[in-house]
Amino acid sequence: MNQADVSKLVSQLRIKVNPRLRRFSNPNGPAGRLDKLRKTVTGLIKHERIELNYPRADEARMYAERLISDAIRYGDCHRTTMEMADFWIIEKQLIHKLFKVLVPRFQDCNTSYTRLYKVPSPYPIIYKREDCYRKAVLELRGNPYPSLLPDKQYNKNIIHNILLEEAKKEYRMQKYAEVVANTEEKGKCQTDSPDEKLETSSDISSKPESNKDEHTT
Amino acid sequence: MFSSSRKKIISTSLKGFRCNSQTAEALQVTNRLASNKTKPSQLKFSRIYPEFLPDPKIEFRNPLREIIERMDMLNRRRNVHIPEFYVGSILSVTYSDKHNPEKLNCFVGICIKREGCGLRANFILRNIIDSQGIEILFDIYDPTIQRIDVLKLEKRLDDELLYLRDALPEYSTFDINMEAEVLPEGSEIPINPIKVKLKPRPWLERWERKNLKGVQDLELPEKFYKRAAELADTTSQYDLMKQYMKTIPVEEQYQIFSEIESELNQLEIAQKKQKRKKSFVKPVKLA
Amino acid sequence: MAFIISNVFNKSSNKSIVTSFQIYNITQIREKRVVPKPKLRHPTWFTHKNRVIHDDFVTADNVGFLKEVVEDQRNSLIPKKAPTNIIDWHPGLRRTGVIARKIGNIPLWLKDGTKIFTTMLEVLDNHVIRCYSPEEYNSPRVKPTLVKNKKGCLLLGAIETDPILLTKEYCGLFKDSGVLPKKVLGRFFVSPEALLQPGTPITIDHYRVGNYVDVRGKTIDRGFQGVMKRHGFSGMPASHGVTKTHRRGGNIGGGGEKGRVWPGTKMPGHMGNRYRVAKGLKILRINRKYNVMWVMGMGIPGETNSIVYIYDTVLPLRKPSAALPFPTYFHKDEDVLPEEFYDENLHNFSDPSIVYK
Repeated sequence: MNQADVSKLVSQLRIKVNPRLRRFSNPNGPAGRLDKLRKTVTGLIKHERIELNYPRADEARMYAERLISDAIRYGDCHRTTMEMADFWIIEKQLIHKLFKVLVPRFQDCNTSYTRLYKVPSPYPIIYKREDCYRKAVLELRGNPYPSLLPDKQYNKNIIHNILLEEAKKEYRMQKYAEVVANTEEKGKCQTDSPDEKLETSSDISSKPESNKDEHTT
Repeated sequence: MFSSSRKKIISTSLKGFRCNSQTAEALQVTNRLASNKTKPSQLKFSRIYPEFLPDPKIEFRNPLREIIERMDMLNRRRNVHIPEFYVGSILSVTYSDKHNPEKLNCFVGICIKREGCGLRANFILRNIIDSQGIEILFDIYDPTIQRIDVLKLEKRLDDELLYLRDALPEYSTFDINMEAEVLPEGSEIPINPIKVKLKPRPWLERWERKNLKGVQDLELPEKFYKRAAELADTTSQYDLMKQYMKTIPVEEQYQIFSEIESELNQLEIAQKKQKRKKSFVKPVKLA
Repeated sequence: MAFIISNVFNKSSNKSIVTSFQIYNITQIREKRVVPKPKLRHPTWFTHKNRVIHDDFVTADNVGFLKEVVEDQRNSLIPKKAPTNIIDWHPGLRRTGVIARKIGNIPLWLKDGTKIFTTMLEVLDNHVIRCYSPEEYNSPRVKPTLVKNKKGCLLLGAIETDPILLTKEYCGLFKDSGVLPKKVLGRFFVSPEALLQPGTPITIDHYRVGNYVDVRGKTIDRGFQGVMKRHGFSGMPASHGVTKTHRRGGNIGGGGEKGRVWPGTKMPGHMGNRYRVAKGLKILRINRKYNVMWVMGMGIPGETNSIVYIYDTVLPLRKPSAALPFPTYFHKDEDVLPEEFYDENLHNFSDPSIVYK
């Protein structure tokens, strides 16, 4: 049980963070690992949508989110943030893009800055180690490309949606009828004497319970 | 692997941004910080009471346990005043001791380490008594502790002072009957720039590899520094996720301390009142 | 032909039929072909739990409607009344257990100043889902004739979930109980007197401070491990001419008559991910507001946030002497219970510091 390091303040990420980082074993050790991820993060900021293997996409996503969230939190006059941007973005003209394009874009964003999609594996599918050969698409939100998700506009015309729609109407009607019946009963009770009212109300409350008991026993 | 050419690039890129208008940029930063809810009143607590933040390791976390643990910690703090202190401060701890004939014991020393969160939080005090180095590990929320007094509130250059074990004895010798030094209210915590002289090797640890700031020249042969440079971790300062996993995000810190802020403030006020009562001494009539 | 048949029918008495059947039986025994009973049958509630989720193209509006229906069902549930024929607890009766979650290890202090380590267990929203009397419940493992003290069985469920994520068969298990489908199920053997009706909630008041419990959980999965980690062997020296055998197990047996690996020899292999029981743990503190109990010891199997099953202890010397809530605690309006219970030896953090006399 260690104490949290509070020397640097960081914003909370809006994506799920894995409990452990992937190792991406590399002859250059941890430096080589970061080198790999650096290329991906730079590519993401440059192209705004990239297709790659799933594990690397998932890992690079966390780093890209951290970079953008730091840029939003501290801005471009903060020394450490600028050093980080300088390290993580290999093509230096993209540093300007980070602070002048992406920061204003995500300034008031309440969701994650990136999206990760799982996409079909290319043929032939290798089943040896599933995760390694899965493909993914990583993109920045608000990119200029057309959406990858199918158009949901006409889903409401599919048969099960039409049936559900009808069921919903019926269900609401039934509910409404029950509410009306209840209010009428209450109105009746109020017109009667107060003693009777008490009795009837207690009857109503006890009825379903007794029914239930009979049923279960 | 990180060449010096990169440093140049930083400076140029920084220049490019700064040439716009410095004051406007600075204003923007402050606005951003304000909009991100980084209120100083909330975040000061995370430095004063670091044990209220949970362990950042995801596998160990459970929100319900953390709530109950904080409740217990506050309950304990209502019964004993646990003051603000840091590594490098000099404390005196009075605690019940079964084996002492007076059933009470007091230890004065410098805090060389502080770790653990929740009810596990603890600190180590070090002193040299009768030319014998003594260290005691105290649990902060141990109910046998009767009193904790800060005799000198200050920080040192390092986050851990374990190297005092290998330092010359005068650096960890403190008078048992030391008088408490009171800092004026509202002043910043002073940082003691003292540089400690270590004894010649052998040591408990290889201190030349620890990147210590509060130590005088170690006077080692060149090969030791060479090896330390080889083993130095140059990458982890750029590993953004590693940093993220070692800390609690600001939003969460804010939420935790906004829950217990009022209680902590009340405790502080109650303590100040008590202190004033104690410091007031009735004047004695001279004959 | 017809005559012969009629003759036979006339002659046929009960005796002849019996003999013919006997002959038939004897042939069966002679061949010794008895169909063996299966050793293990799965209990009836072993079904596929999670539905395979596809994109069903359901509109957001309709998803909201489905959620509304589930919410209405949840609100229309009626709490069970306490049964009338309750008998008092006496030693020898076995009560039901509960399903809980291990939420962490933290230190507490005794009144004499000793620091002890405890485990916090959060008792979840337990409900009885099914109830099997001893006659109804066929043990899948043991021959029924061998069982002397027959026990009934209660199936408990905990952690309410969205039924849309579950299969139809799994949701069907909860049909008679009057509760919504639960994520976790647990089987508890109880005395016939301790059987409860489906739908009965079981809360943390089922236990009292000072009782001893057994906690069953799944140990942490550590994968394939060597003998030093798995069995605590000491390995071999790092230097002094030792080559390539620093963490190996050494000799695993002799030659001659015992010239083989004996069963049960400690060797490398998979470690963890098995159910284990920590027995005889004392309950030190109970918080009724958050449904949490503090149990002595750190060695409870499983990671933090894993599911564990709590039982009354089987250890003979730690069985309770005072009466327990039997078959479980039923809340009465006149009962006023405090929010927290502490063991008499446990230090309460709201008390002043400990002073020795």
